[in-house]
Amino acid sequence: MSADVTGDGAGAEGGGGADVDQGTYECNICLDTARDAVVSLCGHLFCWPCLHQWLETRPNRQLCPVCKAGISRDKVIPLYGRGGSQMDPRTKTPPRPQGQRPEPENNHGGWTFGDGGFQMSFGIGAFPFGFFASAFNFNDGRPGPAPPGTPQAEEERVLSTLFLWIALIFMFWLLMA
Amino acid sequence: MASMQKRLQKELLALQKDPPPGVRVDEASVTKSLSTWQVDMDGAPGTLFEGEKFQLLFKFGPRYPFDSPQVVFTGPNIPVHPHVYSNGHICLSILTEDWSPALSVQSVCLSIISMLSSCKEKKRPPDNNFYVRTCSKNPKKTKWWYHDDSV
Repeated sequence: MSADVTGDGAGAEGGGGADVDQGTYECNICLDTARDAVVSLCGHLFCWPCLHQWLETRPNRQLCPVCKAGISRDKVIPLYGRGGSQMDPRTKTPPRPQGQRPEPENNHGGWTFGDGGFQMSFGIGAFPFGFFASAFNFNDGRPGPAPPGTPQAEEERVLSTLFLWIALIFMFWLLMA
Repeated sequence: MASMQKRLQKELLALQKDPPPGVRVDEASVTKSLSTWQVDMDGAPGTLFEGEKFQLLFKFGPRYPFDSPQVVFTGPNIPVHPHVYSNGHICLSILTEDWSPALSVQSVCLSIISMLSSCKEKKRPPDNNFYVRTCSKNPKKTKWWYHDDSV
């Protein structure tokens, strides 16, 4: 792990640094200074090519090599230092995941059905249980009901009555068919 | 292949420079391609294996460190331990399904010392005779069934 081991330019750059820094910026897989560095949410540093190869090795069991926390392509953050390689890392394969710019939280203001992701699904599995499950689960993972008295609440009530009737008609049709 | 040798070179230097207690790489055994190493190991003081000496044989495939190395006990003294078969094969999950590329020769050696040290009674695995007669030479081909986490 000493600096003189690394024959490449990346290691030579760190040669002037104090011994204290040794290993701090080494990839946990190749043990070399991390190139195209990414860091996991659990804080472990890797070269993106190294981590990518590990994730490909066990695609259905993606764990951090150091601490076995869950890890995935979307759950690592690329590290951009100043300087470094002039080449765009994305031109290399495999491309490093992009940095993310999540929208700031916006708590006030109403929401609409459109961005609430209103979805419906019908399944005829173990009728009628599958049907009930898919027709009446309005509240899982989606925004809660609108406060009473607002136009949204009224709209929701109408829609819910409407869907109840559609469901009843559908059941009736199934029984008759 | 190049990355495997580069990493093994780093591990070898680190292990020669600052080995954990009771662990020595037999430098003469390390082949030119670094794909086979022999590591000498002492039983930890204060345990059932105190004073004993063992040899571990490491074989690295071209996909190391993404693929685990083959690790077996070799030489005249195979430890008598419920997870070590008399042919040197070791039942240890990090050597197969729990392998991670952040593990190293050093961490494997420490895990094995720890496994030996927590032993309460020196005995062979219950299925030793059957396993030794039927198993492949490569312990990684064995479908290990890890059921005992206590030792």
